Amino acid sequence: MDDDKSAEQHVIAAAHHLVKALQLQARTSLSNEARRTLADLDSHLAAMAKAKEDETTSLREIEGRFKSAQAKIMTLQSNCLKVWDAGPSELFEYLQNVEEIRTIIESLESMMPNKNGKQNRLASQAHSVLQMAMVRLQEEVIYILAQNKQCFGHACVSFHSCEEIVVDEESMVSIDEDSVEGISCLDSSRADSEEFCQVFIRFWKDALYEYLRLFCMQQISIEDVLRMDWTFLNCRIKKWRQATKNVIAFYLPSQKNLFDQLLGEFGSVSSTCFIECSKDAMLCLLNFGQAVAIGPLQPERLFCLLDMYELLRGLCQDVDALFSEDHGNFIQVEYHKLFKNLGDSAKAIFLGLGNRIASNTSTTPFQGGGVHPLTKYVINYFMLLSEYSDILRFLLEDRVVENSGGDVDAVVRLDISSEFPCQLALHLQSVASTLESNLEHRSSLYKDDSLKHIFLMNNIHYMVQKIKNSKVRTCFGDEWIKRHIVKYVQHEKSYERITWIPILSLITGYEKSGKAVLKERCRNFSIAFEDVYKNQTGWSIPDIELREDLRISTALKVVHAYRTFVGQVKQSLSDKHIKYTEEDMEKHLLDFFQGSAKSLNHHWRR
Amino acid sequence: MPMTDNQGSFLNRISIRRNQVTSMDHEQELEDLELFQKHVAERFLDLVPNDSSSTTDSPAKDQSPLFSISWYRRLLDVFLCCEAEFKALVLIGRDPVQFSKPPLDRLVPDILDRSIKSLDICNAVTHGLELVRHWQKLAQIAVTAFEHKPMGDGQVRRAKKALNTLLTSMMLDDKENNYHAKVAERTWSFGRRSGAAGNNAANNKDRTNGTFRSMSWSVAKSWSASKQIQAMASTLVAPRGGEPTGLALPIYAMSTTFVFVMWGLVAAIPCQERTGLLTHFTTPRNLNWGQSMIALQEKVAEEWKKKEKKGTAGVLDELQKMEKVAQNLVDFAENYQYPADEEKTEEVMVHVAEMSEICRRMENGLVPLQQQIREVFHRIVRSRAEVLDVLDQIGKMSTPVPY
Repeated sequence: MDDDKSAEQHVIAAAHHLVKALQLQARTSLSNEARRTLADLDSHLAAMAKAKEDETTSLREIEGRFKSAQAKIMTLQSNCLKVWDAGPSELFEYLQNVEEIRTIIESLESMMPNKNGKQNRLASQAHSVLQMAMVRLQEEVIYILAQNKQCFGHACVSFHSCEEIVVDEESMVSIDEDSVEGISCLDSSRADSEEFCQVFIRFWKDALYEYLRLFCMQQISIEDVLRMDWTFLNCRIKKWRQATKNVIAFYLPSQKNLFDQLLGEFGSVSSTCFIECSKDAMLCLLNFGQAVAIGPLQPERLFCLLDMYELLRGLCQDVDALFSEDHGNFIQVEYHKLFKNLGDSAKAIFLGLGNRIASNTSTTPFQGGGVHPLTKYVINYFMLLSEYSDILRFLLEDRVVENSGGDVDAVVRLDISSEFPCQLALHLQSVASTLESNLEHRSSLYKDDSLKHIFLMNNIHYMVQKIKNSKVRTCFGDEWIKRHIVKYVQHEKSYERITWIPILSLITGYEKSGKAVLKERCRNFSIAFEDVYKNQTGWSIPDIELREDLRISTALKVVHAYRTFVGQVKQSLSDKHIKYTEEDMEKHLLDFFQGSAKSLNHHWRR
Repeated sequence: MPMTDNQGSFLNRISIRRNQVTSMDHEQELEDLELFQKHVAERFLDLVPNDSSSTTDSPAKDQSPLFSISWYRRLLDVFLCCEAEFKALVLIGRDPVQFSKPPLDRLVPDILDRSIKSLDICNAVTHGLELVRHWQKLAQIAVTAFEHKPMGDGQVRRAKKALNTLLTSMMLDDKENNYHAKVAERTWSFGRRSGAAGNNAANNKDRTNGTFRSMSWSVAKSWSASKQIQAMASTLVAPRGGEPTGLALPIYAMSTTFVFVMWGLVAAIPCQERTGLLTHFTTPRNLNWGQSMIALQEKVAEEWKKKEKKGTAGVLDELQKMEKVAQNLVDFAENYQYPADEEKTEEVMVHVAEMSEICRRMENGLVPLQQQIREVFHRIVRSRAEVLDVLDQIGKMSTPVPY
């Protein structure tokens, strides 16, 4: 006890004794004033002694409290690796003791400035314990979070088909009740808020990183993306779409919820932490998107771009909800910039289709006159486009731009009836007519006029058939279809005229002719027919119906006339002048337009 | 015949006038291109620090010391201005055919390649700024701790921890990326990957030592800032004079500006794999803009060499100061014993005030700087798209391809 008394206390005690002694001794020989002074001094010293006594007592008391709190903390810490494992009540006890230490420190510090060594030592000890406890508490928080990590971002996202974006409910970031309680309590007791935030943020950043890795998302430089093989890039883009959808629509909102639950009462800490945690991942996703958006504007890339564009459009509201505050605004801006870039690139490709087709020329005529690969490519492209008609319409009519975080959906959509053709329809029709011009040009490369018409007939027929039976029909309308049917029918007619009229003229109008003329005609007919046969069997009409139509039409005219002619020849001349019977003719006509050239090798005996 | 004569002379007059107009146009263009180079020279001259402290000079220069955040913001402004002027001159309204002829046909692919590399550098720098902000937060913790009155043991300990983390992180900046990846993995493997209690203990210790480096996944693993700069600089070739279109020199000016700005950014802000960063690229002295750029280049190179030797965090003024002050503060904290020496405490409070000022400048300057870098990024994207658009048009005129 006596050791606890500081030097000060000894002095005060000594002085007090002295005063008391004086009071006793010199009771009679002192003046009133002197007596009063001594009395004052007496009470003053008594008060000081008391104060010091109190101080010592309270210091002793504090020390007692400290020792017990420290002991408790040490016990709890050493009992198990993580206090949390011992049970929530243990953790709360731990927290209480830590709180106690903190109060102790506060009272020590609020004491008289002239502290003695005892107080300093105690304060120092308390600080050490507190520091250690703080560090330990941070670990506890992370531990709790890690325990619950099993619930979120698991490899439950399925990759059954790359087409679908499958979202697993378990992608939600959630955490069980107890843990929330635990963490909330820990939060409110932490003294070092900044450090806590850092540890917290680090944990969540890495959790999100792991989650992204499930989708094979990692940072790739723009240069590498531009160098990527197309098939590989395509696959990457699909994964990117899955990742983006899952992260923005599910993971981040639930993470934000969790943060609000845990940290909501601390003002803006929750949102700051949230943004710090999600920034890197968002930038990673957005950067990949940018790399794709600035890639070469080739037609096959259009669909990927449209997929990405559509996805981002669907997520605009989510992004605005997550990142509209001050420090998050940066991400929101980048998001909308990417959205716009993707749209611009897609638009550029789409609007540039006509030019590409126009510049796709040739100097050699297309063998066989069938459906040209360019036609197939363009029309099949149209078929694919019809799957994207909604987003394309949105893209082309979009007039609300340059408004970061603005309401992109506030766009007036034009009515898609044929009276008010939309941009999409107009453009598709324009591309179709560019294709037609291209085909016209190619047809002019044929020396044979008949083939020219066959070629155009084939191709326009193909266009009409495909468009008529598809979703993209609404962009062309009945008028267009009718017009083009007329076109290919005209080509059909032209072909017939050019090819068969000269031949028909040989086997008709012979009534007044003599035998010699007939003979001549027979011979010429055979030659002409063989010629046509040799040429036109090598031509191709891929569409069966069209082929049949043409053959029937030809047969009707030619075979009919031939029958009469043959009859006449048999009558006027002999059989031997007839090279081909009617049946032969019919048979030979079947060989036309099969795409394999044949010839009729007969020896014609003069 | 008079008619024809009149016609003839009329036509002659038109053609003469047209020649005059085109030649006037061309002259005007050459003048504009000259002017552009002059502007570049002026803008860079403005960035060179004044050695003499004369009060009549623009006070703006004093407010942004060389390589400070505000200086870098000015540099980026210079870049954006030059780029805008350049684009207006070289791209807009120019006959696309010129792009398939010399010198553009040769130079444009390099320009495009450089723009891609710049985009990646902008991204790396954006991430680097995040790291710098983290450092700022650590420094802020230390400042708050030191400013706590009275300065207690616990506070000093807290500050010491933060400062050690800060300094370690700054030192680690340039080590091999693999190291970081390993450290990150080791440090953060939780739950599924590391179940053993022993592992956890080791992890905890590592973490509390504070190796903060989650940049291991922010940038592609094999990407190297120094290699990118190297590649960009390697295609910078000073053009020989006397080229008819007059485009070669302005293009060279703009390209050099590009490379210089990117180089400056990489030198200042922690980016992945900066070791072996170029310290020099040739710029001819005889060009008007060459002088100031060379002066600045030399300064950057000087600071960078210092950095490589001493292992400091980079050319950025605030970072260099931060490192120095942090070292001082850590030294104080290491030797701290309660109660603190009055004199020493006063001394340390001066450093603390310094650090506080640095933090303040960062607080005010980093976000705008980051925004500017994003602006640069998007500007480069747009310009590149416009160049490609023009090239596409020429592609249309090329010889037909047999399908």
